[in-house]
Amino acid sequence: MTTDPQIATHARSFRTRLSVLQPVRLVWLGLALALALLVVAPIAMLVIKSFTAAGGGGFTFDNYIAAYGRARHVQALWNTLIMGLGTTVLAVLLAVPTAWACTRTNMPGRTLVRIALFGAFLMPPYLTGVGWILLAGPNAGFINQAWTALTGLDDPLVNIFSFSGLVLVMGVSTFFTIFILVSAAFELLSSEMEDAANILGAGPFTTAFKITLPMAMPTILGSALLTFLVSIALYGVPALISIPARYPVVVIQLAEFFSFPIRIEVAAAYSIPLLGITIGLLLLQRRVLGRKGYTAVGGKGGERRIIDLGRWKWAVFAYAMLVVLLSVAMPLLVLLMAAFSHTWVDGFSIDNFTLEHFHYVLFEHSSSQKALLTSVGTGAAAATLAISLALSISYIVQRRLLPYGGVLAFLCMSPFVIPGIVLAIGFYAVYALPPVGLYGTYIILVLAFTTRFLPIAYTTSTNGVRAINPEMEEAVRILGGGQFTAIRKVVAPLLKRTLASGWILMFVPAAQELSTAVFLVGPHTRVVSVVLLDMSEEGTFERLAALGSVLLLIIAAIVLIGVKLLGRDFMLRRT
Amino acid sequence: MKTLKALVITTMILPASLAQATEMTGTERTLYTAAQSENGVTWYTSQLTTEQAEEVCALFSTRFEGIACYPVRANGSSTLQRVVQEIQAGAVQGDIVSTNSVSDFEEFKALSGLAQYMPDNLSGMQPSLAALNDSDGYYFVSGVSPFGFVYNTDLVSPDEVPRSWNDLTDPRWMNQIAIAHPGFSGSAGQWAIAMDRLYGRAFFEGLAANEPQIGRSIADGYTMVTTGERSLTVTSLALGRDAMRDGKPVDLVVPDEGMFLPPSAAGVLAGSPNPNSARLFAEFLASTEFSEWLASKGRNPLRTDVATPEGTPDLNQVSVLTVSVAESLANQQDVVEMFRDIFGI
Repeated sequence: MTTDPQIATHARSFRTRLSVLQPVRLVWLGLALALALLVVAPIAMLVIKSFTAAGGGGFTFDNYIAAYGRARHVQALWNTLIMGLGTTVLAVLLAVPTAWACTRTNMPGRTLVRIALFGAFLMPPYLTGVGWILLAGPNAGFINQAWTALTGLDDPLVNIFSFSGLVLVMGVSTFFTIFILVSAAFELLSSEMEDAANILGAGPFTTAFKITLPMAMPTILGSALLTFLVSIALYGVPALISIPARYPVVVIQLAEFFSFPIRIEVAAAYSIPLLGITIGLLLLQRRVLGRKGYTAVGGKGGERRIIDLGRWKWAVFAYAMLVVLLSVAMPLLVLLMAAFSHTWVDGFSIDNFTLEHFHYVLFEHSSSQKALLTSVGTGAAAATLAISLALSISYIVQRRLLPYGGVLAFLCMSPFVIPGIVLAIGFYAVYALPPVGLYGTYIILVLAFTTRFLPIAYTTSTNGVRAINPEMEEAVRILGGGQFTAIRKVVAPLLKRTLASGWILMFVPAAQELSTAVFLVGPHTRVVSVVLLDMSEEGTFERLAALGSVLLLIIAAIVLIGVKLLGRDFMLRRT
Repeated sequence: MKTLKALVITTMILPASLAQATEMTGTERTLYTAAQSENGVTWYTSQLTTEQAEEVCALFSTRFEGIACYPVRANGSSTLQRVVQEIQAGAVQGDIVSTNSVSDFEEFKALSGLAQYMPDNLSGMQPSLAALNDSDGYYFVSGVSPFGFVYNTDLVSPDEVPRSWNDLTDPRWMNQIAIAHPGFSGSAGQWAIAMDRLYGRAFFEGLAANEPQIGRSIADGYTMVTTGERSLTVTSLALGRDAMRDGKPVDLVVPDEGMFLPPSAAGVLAGSPNPNSARLFAEFLASTEFSEWLASKGRNPLRTDVATPEGTPDLNQVSVLTVSVAESLANQQDVVEMFRDIFGI
């Protein structure tokens, strides 16, 4: 009788297989599947398409030849890197001194500056861009009008439609990330080393350059790199400025491949180097930081004292105010003026005051009302979905509930390296076309926004979960409660704050998202950013400004409610 | 006899708007009835500005009560891209499309993206325009908007105004011209083909040397001139007349070679989700009411039963430059590519 042992073996292996399918493993599988659909599929499709002949043909390199066979196309890639570099340098110059002044010095008005700069987070880049067109259009822009009136010279003082104009708008639109991350790093540095420098006779600026800055260098480099990646992938600002400036960049070239005749395969091939550059830079960053020459950063220990700037404090304040003016105050002010003016060029006066543009965008223009709802709705849905997904994954990863958690974590963070417009092309190729056929639905927008901002949700969730000591959950387990009871009674209440702040950090960019939306919206799912882009091409800036202000107002109101619930500095401090 | 009398009386005391509603043609009535169970009409257009498209839609929904109309206005290239994208994806969401470039419709036709439908109301169309309708019955002329120069009178004195299209290459206009990118704007694309035929590559090189401001739509250049950001633009003369009526400091010039005439065309999309509403809208574009609206805006009406408004040139009496569908199909990509190479964008 040889069959009995065989049956026993069968039974055992069946039981082993069954144990593989435990509920938690199913959860892992589910999450992995979700990430595969959101992140892996679009990018894999992009790579495959780039090697596929148009019309479903076989393997080919022709797409790369079509994409890079023209000097103009290569020039656009080169221009993009130069623009990204310029933007990053400017953003660092704007952000780092201001962050230092706000966190480590006795500069007057620190809170005011922080609150004002928060406005830079709420302003979408394309609105900042329109604001700057009104300010620095070569002839009609307010700055140049004033310049001509003052000096009688016809030549404009500033021209926004130029390389420097492009870099300026990109810089003021993107520096906030550096400001927030570097502020957080400065807040964690203890003052001991600075004190030592002071004792040895160094003044505040010497100390800042020799001690404070080097200690925060990893954060500065890391956030600068992020800004570089964000800036080379931004669509709205180049669409407004780089065409008139005749400075072609990658995103504009990609849009050309997407116009007639639509060449998705060539677009895919054209975007692969961009993907390569971002991955390469991130690897480089890992290596640099991996040398661990910066161990002074990281602990919360040590005392932090603010530096007395003495007579320099007003000079530093003036610089911080300049940053506020350039990034928020001036563009916002002219946008509001335009929104309330018959004709924006005439400036603000009683005769020129009108509410007609608000009436038009809210009640007459058939798609803007719906677009406002769509933007807020898809933004909220994407924020909710991303936070749920990210929180589940960071909990699993942090508590080591399952093997291969690192894979999930990596997938969650990877959309950081995918430019929005490239992600949109991938999404379009996988989900818009049959057999899936999600073109023109809200679902495809929500999924794309979720993916695009998943890294924000994951970072916030991880910080939140890390802050909860597992002992509390273990106490529940010891008292007889299960894993899910522990989550419900201990983890969830403690994570409320993380959830809410993560949600807001996701919602703001998702409700304003343009670069992924531009190829994915259908006629009835247009979001505000896309409507604004269409308005911008007709030059009707007054209406554009009115609709933009309404969107800003709604987003600011939602954020204010969040801030009320969470305390003012919910995002200025590490949880 | 009695009923006839009653009918006459009713018609006489009915308010004008209701009387108009009774004027529906047989075809319109059939389509109107069928359209009521549909979800309105989605109209992709680059033919008009957003504001005008909204007005036309409102007019349509007033005439055909209960049939909603959603205009989706974008520049010619975005509209073309969207429609082609939908046709290729097999997920058509728009019902009817109209652009300023007839060659777009040949592309749609080649992709089997258009339904064969010619409105009955075309019987009233001016013969010179009806000649441009598709002989295969897929698209028809939905507007004519002659191009010329519009300039800012605060910035340009009357004796300085340009006379020829080729004056755009005169260094005197350095930094003062606004144009639309032919790769983005459909009508600018057609215009570029005509300029290439007249003056060749040298025209574009001379224009590029003058550093024009390049926008994505001809409406953008027009706004640049009305706000004084630029002094001179190539745009629809009707837009210029609108601005003059609004008291803006602009005036028009028709170049000596003739005004450039890009006919706008419209066609019902194959696989449109609301086929009856789409056809009803096509009838509307060919109707007297739409031509009356065009005339009220200082534009050229399409029909013989509506007179050309005062101040608007009668196209049968002035010289015009046109681009045939064949010429457009043959040259468009090359001309746009040449433009991109010369202007670097």
